[in-house]
Amino acid sequence: MKTYWVAYQIALQETLQRRSTLIMDRLGGFAVVVSLYSFWTALIGDKATFLGYTRAEMLTYVLALNILRSFVFTGRGWQLVGEISSGRISSYLIRPLSYHGYALALDLAQKTIHVAAAALEVGLLVLCVRGELFLPQDPATWVLFGVAALLSSLLFFFLEFMISSLAFWTSESGGPLFCFELFLQFAAGAFFPLDVLPAALRRALEATPFPYMVYFPVRIFLEKVPPLEGMRMLSMEALWLAAAYAAATTVWKRGMRSYAAEGG
Amino acid sequence: MAVAIETRGLTKDYRSPLKEPGLWGGVKSLFDRKYKDTRAVDAVSFRIEEGELVGFLGANGAGKTTTLKMLSGLLTPTAGSATALGRVPWKREADFQRSISLVMGQRSQLWWEIPAYETFKLNQAIYGLSDKDFREHLDELVDLLGLGEHLSVPVKKLSLGQRMRAELAAALLHRPRLLLLDEPTIGLDVVMQKNVREFIKAYNKRSGATIMLTSHNMTDVVELCRRVIVIEKGRLLYDGALDRLVERYADHKILRARFTAAVDPAELAELGVVVKYEDMTVSLEVPRVKIAASAAALLRTHPVADLNVEEVAIDDIVRRLFSHI
Repeated sequence: MKTYWVAYQIALQETLQRRSTLIMDRLGGFAVVVSLYSFWTALIGDKATFLGYTRAEMLTYVLALNILRSFVFTGRGWQLVGEISSGRISSYLIRPLSYHGYALALDLAQKTIHVAAAALEVGLLVLCVRGELFLPQDPATWVLFGVAALLSSLLFFFLEFMISSLAFWTSESGGPLFCFELFLQFAAGAFFPLDVLPAALRRALEATPFPYMVYFPVRIFLEKVPPLEGMRMLSMEALWLAAAYAAATTVWKRGMRSYAAEGG
Repeated sequence: MAVAIETRGLTKDYRSPLKEPGLWGGVKSLFDRKYKDTRAVDAVSFRIEEGELVGFLGANGAGKTTTLKMLSGLLTPTAGSATALGRVPWKREADFQRSISLVMGQRSQLWWEIPAYETFKLNQAIYGLSDKDFREHLDELVDLLGLGEHLSVPVKKLSLGQRMRAELAAALLHRPRLLLLDEPTIGLDVVMQKNVREFIKAYNKRSGATIMLTSHNMTDVVELCRRVIVIEKGRLLYDGALDRLVERYADHKILRARFTAAVDPAELAELGVVVKYEDMTVSLEVPRVKIAASAAALLRTHPVADLNVEEVAIDDIVRRLFSHI
């Protein structure tokens, strides 16, 4: 365990060291939040609700998005692709170390900093727009949301890990990873709530693991799902996580067998 | 003495996609991809005792690095077997991994943005070193490698030589019993190459660790290794003492003579191959069996002031060996 704790601390230091990358990342994310907020404000106009969302709920959705994006979608997929393609991963594979555990520790360090920055940005936005927010009164909602966000984050980690591991077989695994990330943002509800989609498309998406990463956790937070339904969603998410874990470790094991330790 | 490494018929094939040239070739390969199998290591068998320092030589693409990768457990062989420190490397058992280290001259395990000391702390945790052992091992390495003040500078700010030494320290912190070094002096200046060589020699002597080293720098090999293993196109070409390599592969000696007056180089060519003739001094390559007769003829027919018979330099032999490959 100590190994992963040290790795976490080192990764924290390194993320802080790359200040300009961090600032650019945050500015990019912040711009998305501001545009989404302006977009939805314009759409709602004078109406009391729009597509079932009140103004306060929509603002909350957008702000919660910023935090969830930072907690769920900050991964190490591109680094993993690079490490496998360049053969740099070799230096980890010859040490007595679980690469999954190590990557998770590094991931967590990144998330820690990004979530802290996102919280700061949300605070700033709330002060600026002075809009009304939807804050759940029931402590159980906060707990359910926390658990859902944690599962989402792990689900994303293993899915991204699995896709990045394709680099063991092809030098072009950046392509699938790019498509995955783009589709994911849309299908997870990171651009807009999935309610706005035609029912058939929404149902199709709900049969995939993606909505469990942003859309469902935010709906739990907005208390738009009854407690029982919330529990069902969490169970489904846990099942998806188990499947993603199994798939990621299987792909990894096969990748290890065919690993050619490129370069040099 | 215990056996550190033993390989039997170790073989590794690589499969790589083939692509016809041009855009059309690219489109075709999308639908009908053909592969080519290349044998990188071909039935290589050798045995290395504990504490030995062995040079592993071969031209580019001869299979040296692939062999080291199999011995460190990074690659699984296509056929054959190997044990290192009594274990099968590619099973990647934690105990085995705690006893070995692989240093690749062109690779880095150091974290780029932060000081090397942080990577050392990570390795302390990975290899489960106590604080006391960590301090003791680190002090020794810092002293041997002259790392001192470089420990607190971000790795990206270090020179190549400083980084290579930090790399060696990171790889040796857990005092591996088996050290696999792939081109440890690549890209270093002459002074730094010498420092690294001295360090490797000292580490081998102090710790009794087994070291296997590949290098294109013949000085590394000549100064460090009494035994060499040479591979060519994946096959074992020679395994034995470095000195014997000379006897086996140098079928000639160098006859060096200084004259008191200028001579006609064309006449000298009858005695052997003129390698160099300047300032009234000639270097002749003469077959071993003819050396006595050629020396006598030279003394008889030319105004010789000084005469020497020399062995061919080892690096010349190895270079020649590779150029035939």
